Amino acid sequence: MKRYDLIVVGAGPSGLSAAIEAAKSGLRVVVFDENANPGGQLFKQVHKFFGSKEHKAKIRGFRIGSELLEEANRLGVEVILNATVAGLFQDKEVTVRINDAINHYKGDAVVVATGAAENIVPFVGWTLPGVIGAGAAQTMMNLHGIMPGKKVLMLGSGNVGLVVSYQLLQVGCEVVALVDAAPKIGGYGVHAAKLARTGVPFYLSHTIIKAEGTNHVTGVTIGQVDRKWNIIPGTEKHFDVDTICMAVGLSPMAQLLKMAGCAMENNPQKGGYVPVCDAYGETSIEGVFVAGDVSGVEEASSAMIEGRIAGIATAEYLGFIDKAELTEKAETLENALSSLRQGMFAPENKGKLIEKTEEGYDISTHLLQNGFFTDQEVEKYPGVTKQPGVHAVIECSQNIPCNPCQDACPKHCIKIGDKITSLPVIDEQTTCSGCGLCVAACSGQAIFLVNEDYQEGYASITLPYEFLPLPAKGDTGWALNRGGEKVCMAEVVGVNTSPLFDRTNLLTIKVPVDMAMKARFFKGGSCHAQG
Amino acid sequence: MHKVSDRSCYIGVFVPAQDDDMLICRCEEITKGEIRRAVHDGMFTLTEIRRYLRTGMGLCQGQTCGKLVTGIVARELGISPAALEPAFSRAPMRPIEMKVFGNEKEAEGHA
Repeated sequence: MKRYDLIVVGAGPSGLSAAIEAAKSGLRVVVFDENANPGGQLFKQVHKFFGSKEHKAKIRGFRIGSELLEEANRLGVEVILNATVAGLFQDKEVTVRINDAINHYKGDAVVVATGAAENIVPFVGWTLPGVIGAGAAQTMMNLHGIMPGKKVLMLGSGNVGLVVSYQLLQVGCEVVALVDAAPKIGGYGVHAAKLARTGVPFYLSHTIIKAEGTNHVTGVTIGQVDRKWNIIPGTEKHFDVDTICMAVGLSPMAQLLKMAGCAMENNPQKGGYVPVCDAYGETSIEGVFVAGDVSGVEEASSAMIEGRIAGIATAEYLGFIDKAELTEKAETLENALSSLRQGMFAPENKGKLIEKTEEGYDISTHLLQNGFFTDQEVEKYPGVTKQPGVHAVIECSQNIPCNPCQDACPKHCIKIGDKITSLPVIDEQTTCSGCGLCVAACSGQAIFLVNEDYQEGYASITLPYEFLPLPAKGDTGWALNRGGEKVCMAEVVGVNTSPLFDRTNLLTIKVPVDMAMKARFFKGGSCHAQG
Repeated sequence: MHKVSDRSCYIGVFVPAQDDDMLICRCEEITKGEIRRAVHDGMFTLTEIRRYLRTGMGLCQGQTCGKLVTGIVARELGISPAALEPAFSRAPMRPIEMKVFGNEKEAEGHA
């Protein structure tokens, strides 16, 4: 039987992070993953992450995956792919299917980082080809370069539903509607706003009644639900679609731990049935640790930190480091973790209706129901100011753990402070140089440069643009407002594709000055691609 | 919880519903109606349901339907889904062909 100091199950963000930290302390580490590629979901994540610099904010997910893998390799971590862990037994014996055989391994410690699986909602016709999970859509688009369909309806307005809908638009699909049975959008308002301004309609308090088609999906009917989740007769709406995508939450894949005999609990805040564990991720079985979604569904940034904590804890468990070192290292990480769990999207706020920000600003109900602000609402947030000349307008209205904009500005115009969930504030004593670094740095694409003095009667708006084909200087087309309606003609007067922006290209459009605070997207007159 | 262990507990008669023919466990092709009927046949725990109907015993090993089956059984019993203990977990955690499962590789290794 092959022995290792540490066996890690799952090469996703938390598993790799655990392996890295353990290897740093000198442990011999092996990581098994049933997939052909490491990284878990990271390599499907083409969007920029939220968080702070330490959490790899504003870096795209797949790049974080490469970084982790490189670090693991450098530290001598063995990553074995196409290796399905079939069982976790007494004394940390692990059986692994590799090729056509079952192999036995033994670890002195084990970290289970198996992640979570997608939930589904059943409705008439849900087993038809064309009904897919958001994860499948991401796999098709971002790993295999295949469009899941042409016309898609998305069910689920959490961050996964919002982010995947945006990616569907990017690959050229039409997203006909974003539907959620809840009365408000579950994910970040800024993610919703990115969709709304391209014209994607939101149907809150709606659910799917049936998928239509005989051999595959040809359409879908949705309807409005009442407070008891029953369909209100007469509210049915039909859409012609070839794909229905579901993003209705995740459930931890904790079967391996249950099988091993770990104490388990049913914890709705953590997404379901999870192992009971302490602050270091140690379960009721000594030396068996958990990290990432398997111990409670969150997102990749916190999974990576949990992984690091578990990795360090295994080193202490096996005597590679002492208690003092564990406490010291874990403290920094725990602080980082708790900063990610602040704000209105914190786990304890799940399902709660929050009406005001920590600063006392009203949360826009219009945003929560439609995906965008009204023109009046937007003006009251501290990132939105009226100034002569070019200046940043930050349409950020929710306390989310994210602060790259603050560091991005070389002129220090943007202040968030130490608490990373605070709303960004524009310091009116400073002068914006119009460099656009903040526009590209905002993972929520909520920052615009506005210049109401661009030309007599005209304003310029610089907006983040992640679609292809990229418009060229001199192109004309429509300016769309936050709700995706065409409001005026616009001319592209600048396109900035600096490598510094990491493919969030900056488009500067010229619009009549009264549209300066209304126009937020550009749709080329001749180009038919989404956006 | 009492309803799960108390078999004499009356849960009412089986009332057919419109969506009874909807598939819940895709791998084993078990419908919502079959699951509801099984509860009325006396299968009050998820392990019993699994043995009786084979829900969650197919290719995906209940990854997709597990939560749905739990919800349906709980509703039929009139209890919270959280009160139902999940079915046993045992090796192999993923579907593995018998010829592979039986092919135990000889230990190679480190002392």
